[in-house]
This record gives sequence, C-alpha cells and structure tokens, in this order.
Amino acid sequence: MKALSTKDLTKKYGNKTVVNHLNLEIEKGSIFGFLGKNGAGKSTFINMITGLTLPTSGSFEILGEQGDSLHRVRHRIGVLPDYSTFYENFTALEHLKYYSRILRLSLTTNELKEILKQVELEDAINVKTKNYSFGMKKKLGLAQAIINKPELLFLDEPTSGVDANSILNIHTLIKDISAQGTTVFLTSHNLDEVEKLCDDIAIMNKGTIQTKGSMHQLRREYQDNISVYIKHDSISESKQIKLRTELSSLVKNMKVASDHLELFVEDESVIPKINNYLVSEQINIYRLEVEEPSLEEIFLNLGEEKFSA
Amino acid sequence: MFAITWREFTSQFKSIRSIIIILFIFGVTTGSAKLISQFEMQLKDLGLGDNAYVGGLMLLLFVASPLFVTSISHSIVNKEVDSRTIRFLATKTSRQNIILGKFLGNFLFWMFCLVIALLLIVPFSHAFYFSEFIQSVIYVSYFIGLTLFLSTIIRNPSLTMFLGISLSIALPIIGIWGMFTKNFIIKSISYVTPYFYYTQDHTSYTYFVLIFTLIFLVLSLMVFKRRDL
Repeated sequence: MKALSTKDLTKKYGNKTVVNHLNLEIEKGSIFGFLGKNGAGKSTFINMITGLTLPTSGSFEILGEQGDSLHRVRHRIGVLPDYSTFYENFTALEHLKYYSRILRLSLTTNELKEILKQVELEDAINVKTKNYSFGMKKKLGLAQAIINKPELLFLDEPTSGVDANSILNIHTLIKDISAQGTTVFLTSHNLDEVEKLCDDIAIMNKGTIQTKGSMHQLRREYQDNISVYIKHDSISESKQIKLRTELSSLVKNMKVASDHLELFVEDESVIPKINNYLVSEQINIYRLEVEEPSLEEIFLNLGEEKFSA
Repeated sequence: MFAITWREFTSQFKSIRSIIIILFIFGVTTGSAKLISQFEMQLKDLGLGDNAYVGGLMLLLFVASPLFVTSISHSIVNKEVDSRTIRFLATKTSRQNIILGKFLGNFLFWMFCLVIALLLIVPFSHAFYFSEFIQSVIYVSYFIGLTLFLSTIIRNPSLTMFLGISLSIALPIIGIWGMFTKNFIIKSISYVTPYFYYTQDHTSYTYFVLIFTLIFLVLSLMVFKRRDL
C-alpha cells in the first residue's frame, strides 16, 4: 500500500527546472529519508505534495487521493515546512488552539498541553513566540504537525537548529509516531539521523532521484569496500605469507600482521569464507569486526561519481 | 474557515490603528448626533429630520472609510505570505477557506463597528437606521474586497499600503468627478467606483456595488489558488 506516489512530477521556475520528472513511491508505515544537497529540490518537492506550491506538470497520489483533491486528505497529513514562522503575539498554546480549530479537532487544553510536552515545550506554553529561539520554533512547528495524529507526516529538517538533547527526544518522538502507523517523510542534512531513523532513503540531485532503496540496498550498491578487522592469536611469518596467498583471491586489499588482519572486501559474502579458512588453518579468532560504509560515505561517493556528472 | 474568520475579526481589535479608527467613528457619530439633536426642529422644517442623525456617519464613511479599510486591512493576505505564517494555514485548510475566512473576518469587523455606531445614535433618534446600515455595509464591502484583491496580487505589504491609500484618495475624487464631467475616461472609471451608484436617485442602485465586491473576491481566489506560498 502506497502512502505517496508521484508520476513525472515537475516544477519549473522560469527556465530553471527545480524538480524534474520525479517518480517516487513511499510505502505506508515507513520512515522515508530524503537526502540531497542544498538546492537539490527536496523542499520544493515537499511543497508541491503538501499544496504550498503548484506543480508545473506531472501528478501525484497521496493517501489514495489524487493531488487535485488534496483538500480531502489535508486533515490526515501533518507538515513541518522548511521555514517555520509563527504569529509573534500568540503563545504556543494559542497557536495549537488556532490550528486545532482550523482542522476542526475537538482537543482540550490539556491534550494540547500534552502535545507541547511531547516536544519539550511544556515550560514555554504561555510564552509568546516572539520570545522563542529558533530551536523552540522548530519544536512548535513539530507540535503543530502532529496535532491531528497524521497518517502521513512531512518533516523538512526537523532537527536543524535544535540542541543535542532535544534532537534525541525528537528522534524518539518520530520513532513513536512511526510505531503508531504513521508514514514519515523526512528530509535532513544530518546523515546520521537519516541512517538511524529511516527504513528507505532516496538521494536527490538536480531535481531527480539519484538513488533510492533501503540502507542495506544502498550499501550493497554503492559500497566500494567493506572493511573487516580480524583479531587472532599470534601466527608465524610463514603462515602470514600463506594467508596472503590464499586470501588474495577473496579480498581487494589486505594488511597481514602477526596477531590481526585488516581486509577490504567488495562483497560481504566472502566474509564467511575467510572465517572458515582461518578456522581450517586452526587460527583462533578473538574478534571479527565488519565496518560497513555509512550513509555519509555513500552520499559522498555519489557526490563524487554522480553529482558531478 | 470560521476559525480564520474569528481570528481576523478579533485581531482587528488588537491594533492601535484599529482602536483609534473605531474611537474616531464612534466619536464622530455620537458628536454629530448630539449636535443634530440640538437643532432637531430646524432640521425637520428643512425636511432633513429623518436622516440627519446618520448624516454625520454616512458622510464620514463616504469620504474616509476607504482610508480606514485600507489602513487596517492593507496586508490582510500578503503579510502572512511575506512572514510565511500562511504555510501553516495552507497545509491545514483550502486556499478558498483562507481567502473567504479573511474576507468574512474583516467584513464582520466593519459590520460590528457600523452596528455599534448606529446603536450610539439610537438614544438621540429613537430609531435604528437599518436601510442606511445595509447601504454602508455594502459600501464598505467594496473596499474590503478591493483591499483583499490588492493584498493578494501584491506580495509587498508596504506597497499595498501605499497603493491602497492612493486609491482611497483617488477613487472618491474620480467617483465624484465622474458625476459632473463629460470626459469619457473619467466617466468610465467612475462606473467601477461605488460613488456612481451611491449618487443615483434610487437607492436600489447601491446593491450593484455588491457585484464589484464579489468580483474582487473571485479574482482574489483565482490569484491566490495559483500562488506559490
């Protein structure tokens, strides 16, 4: 079941194409990470899907409704836009009351306070937002996005400008919301955050999707090397030479020492073979560590290989 | 839509500018009614007894309400677009509801002011001037519609303020000028101002002004629906 699907979605500003025939499908219940450099078209894409910007061409379907009928699902989606500003003379609670009335939600003051507590704004409920820091405004933006318990939640840079402790809290909140069945569409410059939270990831560049898949799929597709470190008992020099010879066909690069091996393999399927070989040679293994490429490395690799193309 | 209407309505009472204008309208209305009550017999002899009490209010509205509406509501839409607070609204309700809510909020505000102003006259006149109330509401709705339209098509709030004030001064001049001139251009422009309809012998002409209000509203909706926020 798809929460969102787009077909050739395009946005042009004059001659500049910001989003270019973008096709994307997002499964219901997943946390989908959307990555890309500044100006890649991420926010424009979200703005089109959430009705803030009109597409130049193409179409999309959201929660089973065509984009033209977005008004039918508006109460089922939540949006934290990339740039959040509030009425300066309203308090956080007044904002939530106003938005809940617009959405025709019958939430009590206590329920609204509970939402503000979830985003750690309980101490600033009655403070006017003109006195809020950037991070506090982000949290209020998040609170208004989840006020209606949305089925599909768009979060554009939810943790930018937020302090480290609050970031952890927001991550927990996103996971909790997702656990309740909400599909989360997340853009972030924080690659660790995306890697930690997201089930599926798409990397966007110059208005198109460069690559898409789960973290596992992306690793398989874009990893240059998997680094394998094996700590074993001490072996003789002749055995080290034998290891070099025997393993050369399995690994791309290696460093053999008397008590450990540092291997670089292209495919994780060779790791059990290496392990089996060492066991057959009666080498005692104390520790085996596999270090896979992080999303950051994949992102950087893509940057070098494809973004420049 | 009604949440937006209510917020627009209540927010009008919170600015210093609105409070000054409300006090001014109420002050002039009460002052002129008091003055007229002192010359009641003389005015009745002149055949002005029935409308004299609302005369001050109607004259004030006729000349100054375009300026009042413009100064209070010039940034009704573009302020929120400029500050991007509109993004939270546009992701929660339709653009049609935003425009209609804003129009209705401002319309209710002026209706409220006019009702209060006319009620202030009641102790002197012992009557509520309902017909004059309807006419003044229609008249003010024209300028609310115009201000809404300007605020929708122009992104810069300062520019709408300037343009609104310029039009508030120019429209009464052109409208009244059009009554006396044979100049085709001035005459043509005066047909799109409310002044032409309000200076006809038959008061039913004033209802035509509602068509312009509707045109402004529909144009605002059309423009706003196409706008990137």
